[in-house]
Amino acid sequence: MIRGFRSFLIDFSLVILVGLAVYVLSFGDSFSSIIQLPNSVFHMNTIFLSILIEALPFVLIGVLIAGIIQIFVTEDHIKRWIPKNPILAIIMSCFVGALFPACECGIVPIVRRLLAKGVPIHAGIGFLLTGPLINPLVILSTYMAFGNDFKIAASRMILGFLIAVLISIIISVMFKSNQLKHTIEVQQTHTISHNHGSQSIFSKLGHTVTHAVDEFFDMGKYLIVGALLAAFVQTYVSSEALLELGSGQVSSTAVMMGLAYLLSLCSEADAFIAASFSNVFPTTAILGFLIYGPMTDLKNTMMMLSVFKTRFVILFVLIVTIVVFSVLTLLDGFY
Amino acid sequence: MRINLQQVSRAIILFVFVIFIVRLHYTGDILKLINPKYLMLSKTAAILFLVLFIAQIKRILESDKHDHADHEGHNHDHGNAPFTFRKFISYAIVILPLFTGFFFPMSTLDASIAANKGAMLSLSNNTSKVDDAIEEETTEPDTESIEESTNNEVQQDDNVADPNLYSNTISKEEHDKLIDELSEQNSIEMTDQLYTTYHQEINMNADDYVGKEIKVTGFVYKEESFSANQLVLGRFIITHCVADAGVIGFLTEMDIAEELDEDTWVEAVGTIYLQEYEGDLLPAIKVTEWNVVEEPAQPYLYPISIKIT
Repeated sequence: MIRGFRSFLIDFSLVILVGLAVYVLSFGDSFSSIIQLPNSVFHMNTIFLSILIEALPFVLIGVLIAGIIQIFVTEDHIKRWIPKNPILAIIMSCFVGALFPACECGIVPIVRRLLAKGVPIHAGIGFLLTGPLINPLVILSTYMAFGNDFKIAASRMILGFLIAVLISIIISVMFKSNQLKHTIEVQQTHTISHNHGSQSIFSKLGHTVTHAVDEFFDMGKYLIVGALLAAFVQTYVSSEALLELGSGQVSSTAVMMGLAYLLSLCSEADAFIAASFSNVFPTTAILGFLIYGPMTDLKNTMMMLSVFKTRFVILFVLIVTIVVFSVLTLLDGFY
Repeated sequence: MRINLQQVSRAIILFVFVIFIVRLHYTGDILKLINPKYLMLSKTAAILFLVLFIAQIKRILESDKHDHADHEGHNHDHGNAPFTFRKFISYAIVILPLFTGFFFPMSTLDASIAANKGAMLSLSNNTSKVDDAIEEETTEPDTESIEESTNNEVQQDDNVADPNLYSNTISKEEHDKLIDELSEQNSIEMTDQLYTTYHQEINMNADDYVGKEIKVTGFVYKEESFSANQLVLGRFIITHCVADAGVIGFLTEMDIAEELDEDTWVEAVGTIYLQEYEGDLLPAIKVTEWNVVEEPAQPYLYPISIKIT
């Protein structure tokens, strides 16, 4: 009886769902004319949706990979793969990140999963830093954006890699535990209780997707808030005003890094924006924009807050900022 | 035994995301958000949402026999924990883009955004490269493209590259050929497909193009520092998504500039000359003929990707 009622409810909600879909598809437009808001709000909304639509495929692929890691990769595998020596582990993770075509938003759920599976924090962070920064797509777009000149693209990759290693080493000294919002013991009991090892491949795949759903609802809200903030900055904060702040070598690097943080561009596209600043600012400042942006930005910080302890996220952003800024300032003479 | 409303609403949200993306593609609004190059990727997102939705449906059906009691304290929410204000907020956030996506009109970027993005800055930036670019050109002559152009001279006419705007990938040879042909033309038409390529070339080697006739379409953009007869005919260029839009275009000189409002779309014909703007020399257009046109159906430009083989 109750079962019957339940299946009736499900059918019923599906009918409503489909009805809603048809309704919105056909009449959605008539609503648009009712809402009266300043034009800039609609601009902000358009930029907001554009960031979101562009990021969603990557995030969804990210949560699915996270689901696969959760179900198919065991703690034993990880123990075997990751070198005991922290420096070796960092270098390895930075290399893996460099080969892995991810973007800032897609990589966060993957790193969370890896850390929960027992990857040490320094290796996880190495992967998080190089994943979006160094990959074939980014190299290509940087190369093209700067008039087919390989110097900037090469500097971005090599310097970025070294900076990522440096940051990971600092992280490995400062933090020992995995810094996830919840403790690792819980993660392990969870895996054992699921007992994935003895399940059929089909039910394993089912669990992968269910995990991805949870992950999406976990990450989704942070991605959305991040996109909204970035859209707000793009609509209401004038870049020109920001740029006027930076005239000297050092301050221009700071300004470009600030801009990279606030704009939260995808690493495959940011080179084109950077290129348009390439004659106002020295190369160091441009590299600051290109290296700092993929490592951390407004949208990405929001997403990290969903995964890591707040204190860790704040320290992480600070460390990345200080390291990128100091390395570039020290190297100023070479460019 | 009861139906878990949170699981149902998660399913609904996932499904509405599918509808949302499908609708964007169906109405064509998607092109106001992203570069057509990424259309496939966005369709993939719709399919992935559908997969998640199906998994979620299965979970509604199973929610009582697989109670997830063993998941207590797990680091994320399976949607079974009691409904709290905190959760209400997080669901509201997830629904926000769906709400604004369905009910807010999709707008096209305009002059106010151009001002925010520092339009003049990016226009003058490209050009200060002039000297470097010329130097590079002379120190390392590109033998390959010279050969290319001589080879193609005979069949130039029936071999004009016309890359489709929506799949605008061309090979390096085609690109070089386009540039070679451009420098030989006396009258340049800035079509949507080739706008970005031509614009870059004209900015880099402005001297070569002075005196040539040019036909260009764009929206009116003005700055306080402009004189009464100056305006910019600008276009937004979308590399990835609207968030990374940049402004390109030409400073133009026309008699009635004062009367034209910002965001008016103008089609203009004129000659290229060099104009000083805040210390930079930029290629500008002295307009001879012009008329006001409707905003094009596809107002944005997308950079041509050059295949590197």
